[in-house]
Amino acid sequence: MAYVATRGGERAIEQSERLFRSDMGRIDQARVAELRHALPYLVDRVMGEASLYDEDLAALALAQTGGELYEVVLLLRAWRTTQPRLSVAAPIQQKDLFTHRRISAAFKDIPGGQVLGPTLDYSHRILATDVLTGTPFVPNNVVPSARAAPAHQPSVSAWQAENELLDLPPVEPVQGNDIPDLTREPLLFPSKRAHTLQSLARAETGGVLALGYSAMRGYGQAHPTVNELRLAEAEVMVKHPRGTSFSAGRVKVSQAEVVSKKGEKLELGFAATLGWNEVKCIAAATLDLNTKGAAKGTATEEEFFLYHTEGVESSGFCIHFKLPHYVTFQSSLDAMRDAKAKKAAKCMEPAQ
Amino acid sequence: MKELNHGQVLSTLARADADRIKALAETLIDQVGEVEVVASRTGLVMLPMQDTAGGTAFHLGEVLMSEAHIRADGVEGYGLRRGRDLEAVMAMALVDLALARDISKADCLEFCAAEAAGQMAEDDITLRRIEATRVDMETF
Repeated sequence: MAYVATRGGERAIEQSERLFRSDMGRIDQARVAELRHALPYLVDRVMGEASLYDEDLAALALAQTGGELYEVVLLLRAWRTTQPRLSVAAPIQQKDLFTHRRISAAFKDIPGGQVLGPTLDYSHRILATDVLTGTPFVPNNVVPSARAAPAHQPSVSAWQAENELLDLPPVEPVQGNDIPDLTREPLLFPSKRAHTLQSLARAETGGVLALGYSAMRGYGQAHPTVNELRLAEAEVMVKHPRGTSFSAGRVKVSQAEVVSKKGEKLELGFAATLGWNEVKCIAAATLDLNTKGAAKGTATEEEFFLYHTEGVESSGFCIHFKLPHYVTFQSSLDAMRDAKAKKAAKCMEPAQ
Repeated sequence: MKELNHGQVLSTLARADADRIKALAETLIDQVGEVEVVASRTGLVMLPMQDTAGGTAFHLGEVLMSEAHIRADGVEGYGLRRGRDLEAVMAMALVDLALARDISKADCLEFCAAEAAGQMAEDDITLRRIEATRVDMETF
């Protein structure tokens, strides 16, 4: 192994960073606030992938990187390491979520009913080009209902278990620091379920979608139906030094359960993430559903999809290829030239 | 209105408007007197979730919080709020300490009741907007 030392690049590096930032100009509080306000779903996506929930930090990272999403997530993950961990909150329970959107593609009459919540699912996809010629786009106001939706809704899978459609697993009584944590221990295979779900929660959306989509198209073992999709807010339940349990605030979370028929019962796949990102959750739950029995090296095999959907590692590996590889590449060229020379020499040998 | 318990008070203070809670805390500083600051910092709270398919608790990710922990005459005051506003969370800890030591209790409880009512009203508006998206489906 050999390395090439490069001299004289310091100025170029400095200027290249200036060039990158020059198009974005000055970054101030107003820009961060505008990004946070105008792009809540992008802010949610990067908070989920960064595994760090704070809208201001996410908007700042977007402003600082010009929206280069891999850089955004890397910046947030790096910043996270500067902060102490104060505590581990009580685990969120589905039935306690302050629910904004709850739909099921499997059953139309789920207990509590279905609320579409904020969505563009049924809207016309028409670009408001008038905005570009000076006519602002002003959305119509929501007409609130006379009565309020229930804040909390039961879990669809609990109702299915009551009706003997599926078997719910016993709840593992693991709490606090005893919950396996990928940020403090390596991902090993076969993966602990807590590691699998944590990995999917922080996975890169595009990667999860690509592999989940391959399973949906038939490269998996089970076809998913969305049992329950929720966009909600969760209370972060912590303890006062005197032992009182209280909510230190709410954060947005998304959660998806998908089902598939397995014998006489239904089988569940599950995924959740910080922020509202339903595509990622449905795709991730589909991967979870398809894990059992997946062949080695296929998209639905745990090791395959967990390693390849970790955005910081995969993007980092990808972009390392643009860094100088002069020695290794020269070695390949040497081998090519050597082979060529040997072939030519063989041709020159007199016939026997 | 029924008096809030300690957990409800803390939950309300954690969501209370930052400017209003700071203004309340300003009125308490002299009465509370000297306090020992045990902690005044930002940090992360890990947030787990219960998985319905496997029964496993797993980590969703971390939430940025501000924490303030103070003590006076052996009584603890504590605050933990989302975000990075160290003044607001110190104000929360001061209100908690004041309540524990019966200092300006009526003012503090009145503040909590008003904030809780505002938060409930805000939730009610949100839920009525959500209810407007309820869909009843029929299969033909």
